[in-house]
Amino acid sequence: MLRRIGESVRRRAGEILYGLGFFYSLLKESVLFFRRRQVGYRVLVMQILFTGYEALRISAVLAMAIGVAINLIGASLLAEFGQGKLMYTLLIIVITRELGPLLTAFIVTARSGTAIATELGGMVVNHEIEAYVAVGVNPLSYLGAPRLIGVVVSMLVLSIYFNLFGLLGSFAIMQVLKPVALAEYLRNLVAVLTVRDLMSGLLKSLIFGLIIASVSIHRGFAVERASTEIPVAGIRAVGASFILIILADAAVTAAQYLG
Amino acid sequence: MKFRIKYADRIVGIFVVLAALFLVASVIVLGANQRWFAKDYRFVSRFGSAAGIAPGTPIMLKGFQIGKIDRIRLNEDNEVDVEFSIYDSYYGKAKVNSLLELVTSPIGLGSQLLFHPGKGEEILEEGAFVATANSPEGEALIEQELVDIPVKDDTVTRLLGNINPLIENLNKTVVTVNRTLTEVNRALAGQSSGPLGRMIEDAADTVAGVEALVGGVRGDAEAIVSKANDLAASLERITRNLEDTTAALRDPTGLVPRLLDPKGSVKTLLDDKNALYNSILGSVAEIQRTLKNIQAMTTTLNTQMPTVAATLEETRTAIRQAQDVLEGLKNNPLLKGGIPERKDQTPLYQSLREGEF
Repeated sequence: MLRRIGESVRRRAGEILYGLGFFYSLLKESVLFFRRRQVGYRVLVMQILFTGYEALRISAVLAMAIGVAINLIGASLLAEFGQGKLMYTLLIIVITRELGPLLTAFIVTARSGTAIATELGGMVVNHEIEAYVAVGVNPLSYLGAPRLIGVVVSMLVLSIYFNLFGLLGSFAIMQVLKPVALAEYLRNLVAVLTVRDLMSGLLKSLIFGLIIASVSIHRGFAVERASTEIPVAGIRAVGASFILIILADAAVTAAQYLG
Repeated sequence: MKFRIKYADRIVGIFVVLAALFLVASVIVLGANQRWFAKDYRFVSRFGSAAGIAPGTPIMLKGFQIGKIDRIRLNEDNEVDVEFSIYDSYYGKAKVNSLLELVTSPIGLGSQLLFHPGKGEEILEEGAFVATANSPEGEALIEQELVDIPVKDDTVTRLLGNINPLIENLNKTVVTVNRTLTEVNRALAGQSSGPLGRMIEDAADTVAGVEALVGGVRGDAEAIVSKANDLAASLERITRNLEDTTAALRDPTGLVPRLLDPKGSVKTLLDDKNALYNSILGSVAEIQRTLKNIQAMTTTLNTQMPTVAATLEETRTAIRQAQDVLEGLKNNPLLKGGIPERKDQTPLYQSLREGEF
């Protein structure tokens, strides 16, 4: 039993070290990507198209729904305490700082994380990776780096759109409940919005994008030879991404509020 | 080929550029809101304490934020050096002799740092020192009316404004009382030549006079006491005589035998050839006759009592009949129901001997 525990710990530690090494290599290739962008530029564009642009619709709907919900809840609750002005602070905290990046990350994980893991897994099973290696193309450089950059960029851009649509949705419902001029609405928002809030949301999106891309690419390349491993890789990519995203969110939030 | 695949580059470009534009616009708006692109004019001031002030504390003028505190530092004299900035749009308000005033809410609603512009026309140079309202320089400026301090019209501030004169009056009163007590102490110590000192000297003279008077009274009282002692001695002698008399009366060989002695006063009174006896005897006979007369009268009355009783009974019957007649006349049978039947009144309380006993 002790031998089994020891082997399990050694294997887990080896996986973590391998994962860290993989992440480092992927990051290095991503930094170098812009020097040799002609290699995977098309892959990057397609990744942003699939991960970012195609997720915009669901992200926008979700953002507007969240904005409406916050406005409806806040309008009834905060008004009871005479703190109606806190509505704008609440919107900024929920949409810009906390829920925006998190929900965007969940959308991207569910859509693109699984897609990346299964696509790369399929390429491994079909020996395409071996072919790239055989012709001297680094799969991390050609397949991994554009996906990582694409997911990170898509996360950042989607997070910005999430803010835009979330605040627009809130404005739309405000026109029904308590009509306010757009200029006044924006002025009140800007009065409580700080660059720190904006950067906080973008930092979270950046970290979440790195997590989603790294885990998904890692899981995709981890497929060995059976096609049945491909969906498992997708499931594991989603599960691991969710856990790491939540842990990272807690860590970043704690660092912001305690720091 | 699908549209979006064919034009993927453009779609992605627009997608990213729009987001970037929105982000840049947001940052610019936020920057403008946070005065990143505006020039602020810096000044310095000094406070006694950092309580209520901190970096970022807004500086208010008539409800408008015209600047903020940038930095605070505790200097070597344990005072707080404050660097603050006035926004360029309000720089014209920062005139020479301007003041800063920290107003703290007494009910815990925080504090406000107010800026009171000077009354002059000259604008403060950047980096100039601005005094605080409670500093000696600030108080001097206020006394000389060189600074424009608006009337504080909120209730709490007005209350505070009313309380301050009260406290000053109280303080003056305390000082006056203290001074009075000092004067009293000096007067009591005989060091004062004022009215109180003179009063105390007069009081001392009065006390001396009273002491002399008490001495005189004491002498008179001693004489009275001496006379009272003499009187008590006399009373004691009288009492002793009474005791002697009582003892003599109790003595069987004393006063009583002497009174009953055949040669005493009683014998002399009785030995009057029966004159006294005869007189007493006559009186007794007279009393006896009187008693006989009374007895005869009583007997006569006893014999006449039935007759008197019958007469009284007849009289009562006649009265009752007369009453019935009168009642009959009152209730004339032609008019009413005739003479009503008389009902005897049953006595409320009956004797124990009446009835079936």
